[in-house]
Amino acid sequence: MSARRVASLTRRIIDQFRRDRRSLALLFVAPIFVLALLGWVLEGQASPEPRVLITDMSAPGSATVLRTLEQAVTAAGGTLLDGSYDEAAARQALADREADVAIVPNNVGGIELLIITPGLNPAADGGNVSALQQALLQVLRDQAPPQVAGLLPDVRHETLYGPDDADELDTLGPVFVGYFAYFFVFILTGISFLRERMGGTLERLMATPVTRGEIVLGYSIGFGIFATIQVALVMLFTVMRVDVPSIGPLPAFWIGLGVPVAGSPFLAYLIALLLGLGAVSLGIFLSTFARTELQILQFIPVVIIPQGLLGGIFWPVDSLPSLLEPIARVLPITYAVEGLREVFIAGAGIGSATVQLDLAVLVGIAALFVILAATTIRREIA
Amino acid sequence: MPPAAGPEQAPAIQVVDLHKRFGSVNAVDGVDLSLPAGRIYGLLGPNGSGKTTLIRLLTGLARPTSGYAAVLGVRMPARTNLTKIGYMTQAEGLYAELSVWENLRFFASLSGATDRGQMTAALELVQLDTWARTPVHELSGGMRRRLSLACALAHRPPVLFLDEPTVGVDPALRRSFWEHLRGLASQGDTLLVASHVMDEAERCDELLFIRAGRVVASGDADALRQRAGTRDLEEAFLKFASEAGVGSAEEGPQ
Repeated sequence: MSARRVASLTRRIIDQFRRDRRSLALLFVAPIFVLALLGWVLEGQASPEPRVLITDMSAPGSATVLRTLEQAVTAAGGTLLDGSYDEAAARQALADREADVAIVPNNVGGIELLIITPGLNPAADGGNVSALQQALLQVLRDQAPPQVAGLLPDVRHETLYGPDDADELDTLGPVFVGYFAYFFVFILTGISFLRERMGGTLERLMATPVTRGEIVLGYSIGFGIFATIQVALVMLFTVMRVDVPSIGPLPAFWIGLGVPVAGSPFLAYLIALLLGLGAVSLGIFLSTFARTELQILQFIPVVIIPQGLLGGIFWPVDSLPSLLEPIARVLPITYAVEGLREVFIAGAGIGSATVQLDLAVLVGIAALFVILAATTIRREIA
Repeated sequence: MPPAAGPEQAPAIQVVDLHKRFGSVNAVDGVDLSLPAGRIYGLLGPNGSGKTTLIRLLTGLARPTSGYAAVLGVRMPARTNLTKIGYMTQAEGLYAELSVWENLRFFASLSGATDRGQMTAALELVQLDTWARTPVHELSGGMRRRLSLACALAHRPPVLFLDEPTVGVDPALRRSFWEHLRGLASQGDTLLVASHVMDEAERCDELLFIRAGRVVASGDADALRQRAGTRDLEEAFLKFASEAGVGSAEEGPQ
């Protein structure tokens, strides 16, 4: 082992990195950037302001129960909806997205409470329910004599959509169908097109009568076919669940996530595919700003991770800090996430206004990316 | 003069006072050319003299700052005219994962050629017909150059621009390369071959000495030597370059 040779190698690596300012910047800046974003998202979570409705009660003594509940809603930062609801009307209001939480007190003594939430986002629902429970506890402590303070109502939580015991998987699964397509298609197209630019084949392509539009379309169809297959596989894996019984020493295990699909799998598929097609053009566009394949990979912390944090996958877009919410509103992933959840969990169809909006925005963003991609492909490269 | 280029016919390549500026650099600095069809033209000059930029202007890959450049009477850049132009780039410009045949078929089809026989002929010309199924990443550097040439030829364009076509090609094959280029010219095709290798210059019908973006002399090899009063072309080049006020002793082509 020669210290001089090791030193030469070390020095060469330092020199190379010093020349590649962007890699260097990324090495130091990207972790701070991603952590900062994560910090904002987690710390800056706007405290939930759920719109709460309480169904009517007719039993004697219900006025006290209602007053206590109303105080709890206000204490939890919620907005109490006016109007008279029975349980069916309450469920309808949740389905119409007019309310975030419905409280259905037991009509006998109000000792048992049923809390209904939409179930589209367990994290948000859970936050609302626990905030209400805590507020209720506080209100009861304040007003009741100490000996009854321990007598808390029995709270039961139910969701409008999906199973009541829905876990994170049931809401993350549908979303990842789209996110993976987006991520991998972006990386693959970016690298392919970078090779095209750097390897001289783009120069050669441009010396033929091919048009920019033809190139973007050809890429979109080519990668679209692979995105189609990928989305199909991921979707199948998400939806199906095969239990394998224990064989000999091998313990029982299962394959697939078994996430239930309430709506049309084809509609969900369309949403994921539109997202993937946008990623093709985004990859072509951003390949202009990279000189090496390493630099394409550098787009992951800059382009892909922020979209994962802001797009509503883990935290609802509504509760993002006010600085980040407008950014989330222009990301295609936000609309795909919303659409996929609507279809998978709420069973929304093509007639749903939300799904229509999501599809329209995804088509619009894909079209914008196509234009951006096409403008970066010029005959005059130099 | 070959019959294909009668005096009434427009020159295959015509350039009038062509300029291309990159920032403060005049890559092409007032070039005038009128090149009749059916001949091989050698574009000679050191690296960075403007050869590639001139070719890119003629193939429409770059837009002139000022001046006029036309191929077969059509002002460039003109996308539709590209079916009549073949361009062998200096960079390899091949898809390494694809086979020889797949590369050829792809570029030929973009240029509007679908005739299988024509593509096979292009492969035979560069002696790669037995390698058709081989992926490009398994080919040697010289074989890739040959495939690159075949890709430029496959749609049988009447005008060919070859940028340093014989780099990495062994001498025996280089000879057969030139025989084929000669064959194309005798069929009426026009070839503009950029090179910085002077021994290739002897094979061209006419030479264009280019230096700092300007054509400093043109004519056939003998005439140029005679005019410069030198015995070899390299010395002639340096003489013309210094007369034009753009030469420096050590910067001639090799």
